[in-house]
Parts: sequence; C-alpha cells; structure tokens
Amino acid sequence: MLILGIETSTGQSSVALVGTDGVVASASLGVARRHGEFVAPAVQFCLRQAGVGADRVTGVTVGLGPGLYTGLRVGIATAQAFAAARDLPVVGMSGLDVLAFQVRHVRRLIAAVIDARRGELFWALYRAVPGGVQRQTDLRVGTAEQLAAELEATGEECLVIGDGLSRATHELDRVGIETFAAVPDAAHLAELARPRFEREETQRPADLLPIYLRHADAKIGWEARGRMQGGAAT
Amino acid sequence: MLVLGIETSCDETAVGIVEDRFTLRANVIASQVELHAPYGGVVPEVAARAHLEALLPTIDHALVEAGCGLSDMDAIAVTSGPGLIGALLVGVSAAKGLALAHDKPLIGVNHLRAHVEVAQLEFGELQPPLAALVVSGGHTSIVALEKVGSGGESGDDGRFRQLGATIDDAAGEAFDKIARFIGLGYPGGPEIDRLARQGDPKAIDFPRAMLHEPGYDMSLSGLKTAVIRYLRRLEAAGTEPDLADVAASFQEAIVDVQVVKTLRAARDEGLERVVLAGGVAANTRLRARFAEACEREGLGLVVPSIPLCTDNGAMVAASGANLLAAGTLADLELGVDPNLPLAG
Repeated sequence: MLILGIETSTGQSSVALVGTDGVVASASLGVARRHGEFVAPAVQFCLRQAGVGADRVTGVTVGLGPGLYTGLRVGIATAQAFAAARDLPVVGMSGLDVLAFQVRHVRRLIAAVIDARRGELFWALYRAVPGGVQRQTDLRVGTAEQLAAELEATGEECLVIGDGLSRATHELDRVGIETFAAVPDAAHLAELARPRFEREETQRPADLLPIYLRHADAKIGWEARGRMQGGAAT
Repeated sequence: MLVLGIETSCDETAVGIVEDRFTLRANVIASQVELHAPYGGVVPEVAARAHLEALLPTIDHALVEAGCGLSDMDAIAVTSGPGLIGALLVGVSAAKGLALAHDKPLIGVNHLRAHVEVAQLEFGELQPPLAALVVSGGHTSIVALEKVGSGGESGDDGRFRQLGATIDDAAGEAFDKIARFIGLGYPGGPEIDRLARQGDPKAIDFPRAMLHEPGYDMSLSGLKTAVIRYLRRLEAAGTEPDLADVAASFQEAIVDVQVVKTLRAARDEGLERVVLAGGVAANTRLRARFAEACEREGLGLVVPSIPLCTDNGAMVAASGANLLAAGTLADLELGVDPNLPLAG
C-alpha cells in the first residue's frame, strides 16, 4: 500500500507518500499563494525520493477543507485528476479532522480551528477515542468570540489546535483556554486515511469536492454592481 | 500524435482532443452560462467552483468521444492565461495531475493565440502573412502573423505581433453591458445579434471613436455611454425606443470599427488574409461584414465555425499540438497568468 496525500487548505501546503510502515517521503511549503506551483512538483519530488513511479501509488487522499478556496481547489483538482488517470480509489478528509488527529493523545475536549479569513474561523470539536478522535459537532464558521463562547459553555477543559489562532488569542485567553498553533499536514492526513483504504471505504475521484461552508457570495456584489451601471433602463 | 487540451479560463469547462495538429477528435464543453445568467456576468468564485465539478466528467466524455484513453495521449495541454485566476488554476492543476499520473509532457497554452490557431482544424495550416482579429468578452486585439507556420516554428512565441487593441472595453463586454441595460438576457452578444436582425443598422448614428485616427487601436466605452445616453434622452421625453433599431445600430458601430481597423492594418502591413477569432467572431453581422469587405479588398478570410469561435477545448489542443511539435513544453511548476498578453 502506497498512499499519496495532498493537503492545501491553509497557507502551508504539503504532500506526502505514506506506506504500510509510515511516511516514505514528504514535502511542505509555508508560502501562501504558491500552492499552484508547489503541489505537482512536490508529488514528483516525493515519488523520486521514494524511488517509485506513479504506477506504484495505490490510493490518493486529499484535504477537502474547510480553508482557503483557491488552495483547496488546486489540491483537489490535482488529486482527483491523478487518481482518475490511474483509476485509483480516493479518500477526502476534512483538515479539521486531521488537526484533531494530530493531538489524539490529549484527554481534553479538542477544538480544531482553521482561518476562514474575513475575520472568521472554521472549527469543530473532537474527543479522543481509542485509535483516533471523534467529531462531536458539525463544522462551523464564525467569529473568535463565538468560538470562545461555545467552548466556555461546555464547562470543560479544552485544547484549541489550529491555524489562524492569532486572531482568536485574545478571546481564548480571556476564557483561559490553551491554544496550540498547527496546520493539517499531508503525512497525518494519509495516516488518518490509511484505515479507510484498508477497509475499502473509498470514493470515486469525481466525488471529491471542497467543504466550502460559505456561499459563493455572488449575489450581493452583482446586485450592487447592476445598480451602479444603471441596471434595467427603467 | 494526440494532444488533450483543457480550457477553464472563464465560464466554459471544455476539453478537446486533436490528432496530428489538424484533426479534431473530440470537443466537449460543459457550459456554466446558466449559473452566471442571474448575475448578468461571470462571477469568478462561482466559475471556479463549477469548473472543479465539471472537469473530470468533461475529460471522460472527451476521451469516450475520441475513442481513446489518457495513456494514448502524447501531451496534456492547458490554458495557463489569460483569464480568471481561480478558474485557470483548476484546469492547470488537473492537467498537472494527468501529466504526473502518466508521465506525459505538460504544455501551457495562451488562450488568445489558441483562438487564432483553432482555425487550422478547419482550414489546415494558417498561411501567413495574415491579420487576426481576436474579439471576445475580455479581449479585442488585432495581431499580425508573419512567419510561415511550419510545425517546427508554430510554437515560436515571436510569431504573433500586436498591431492594435481596444484601449478600454472589449467588444464582448460592450455587448453584455448594453444587453443588460436594455433588459436582454446574458450573455449579451447572441441576444443583441438576434434582436438586431429585426432592426435598421442605420437608424441611429452612434459614434465610432478613433475610426479616423491613425493606428489600429480602438475605443468602445464611449459608444456604450452614447447608447445609454440616447435611451435616457428618449425616456426623459416619454418616447418608447425601438430596441431592435438600437441593437442594430449599436452592433453596426462596433462592427464598423472592427472592420475598418482590421482591414487598415492588413493593408498597411501587407498582410494577405484575415482570421476572425474569439467568441464575438460568432456574431453574424461581424461575419457578414468581414466577408463583404475582404472580398472587396481582395483579402482572404478565415472564419472558424461558431462552435470553434467561442471558448472550447479543441483550440487548446490545437495550440498545444503546435507547441509540442515545436518542442515548447512546460514543467510541473507551470503557473497561471491572468493577464498573459497575446503577443509578447
């Protein structure tokens, strides 16, 4: 088994090849806005480091977000085209699940967070279970205040892990919650996905779509613009 | 030699397959027009989302139509600019995934050049020296193609030389804006074209800016303003405008500018043929007027059929095939350029 993982939902994107015994090769880049140039060469780099051709990959897993839309689409488009071309099974995973999985040994309530821009965050709450973590809530989008209020309301000790936390530090400090900066990475993603490949709980490449959690925001902008340009002649 | 071409620069998810540079094997388009129609224009985020959903099925469909598999391709070509950045990235990322999976060469295609080069699928090798008018929703340019387009030279970036362009609105943009203003649907080009057939193109004398100025640049935003001002004046006077006459006269003004500037460029530069390219080249009046004018001036005229004028994947495959023949390949770091110029 050789799984190709691609994770591009935050400003830091990564690619990994994971075999039965763990990570074979990985690459990551911390420069946002360069996902487009990074992902495919990184896949090639990992294959070369592992000394294998594309034909040896047995499955592809990719982060579906939520996160930065353009980056997500770069990762998903690359992953699904690669998988479709080689007729491989795929597994799509939320980056929030991957983040929580990275701290699966913590006994506290876990809040995984990803920067949603525009002053908001994406998040979900998790609890450690044998072998991993279990999501306790839907995926949410909201402000740092809303996140802090939700965590405070649980009355439990929490650990917040994620990306974009600088935006939330003040609010979370205020309610005494510990934070840990991290991004979902491709090696953890592939490790988390591996049992799904083993159990053959896989998807078809065309089924992979980003988790947007927001509408395309088009209506407001175009209605305003229509008025500006005169709209209908009336 | 088979080349698969992917086009996602604007609002069409399109895939084409071309064999040996001149033979069209497949041309499949998943249009998003209906998604954007409620907004009266292309919404970038809506476009990018729709490309990602449509692309794999469109590739599959094209392969079935061509009766071949991805492993039969000699190269994967993709539009890398100009266009909407988020939309371009979907196509380029998918193209890289395909190229990686089968270790195939990747080719970055200039969308505007591809509009011109698609003519080779219907007319064979383009015969320079020629003038090409590339006219679409985002672009209105006149370029010269002077060198002989043998396979070995087709990929030469220096082949195209910019002669003139709109200094403000593209022709397709003007069509969309006026269509929206007079309450027609989106996209505006075909709607104006249809309505104009019932109108008199000489009814209203709208301005033809820069028509008599030297050079081949043009300006279309003043025309748009003049149409809007005309309609507001009638409205203020309580007179009902004849919208068919307005559409016909507005269209005639745009077409006049295109014909005059392109033919002047061809004459001055000693170019023997004219190629019409891009989505607005589907306009029936533009096609008819160029046919008359070129005949009168003794110029050859090359006009692709309408499905090859609007955005499509075949044009990317055709241009990609030329670049492959010339050995102009991209690497996996290929970036997108939303403002990639037609001529460097």
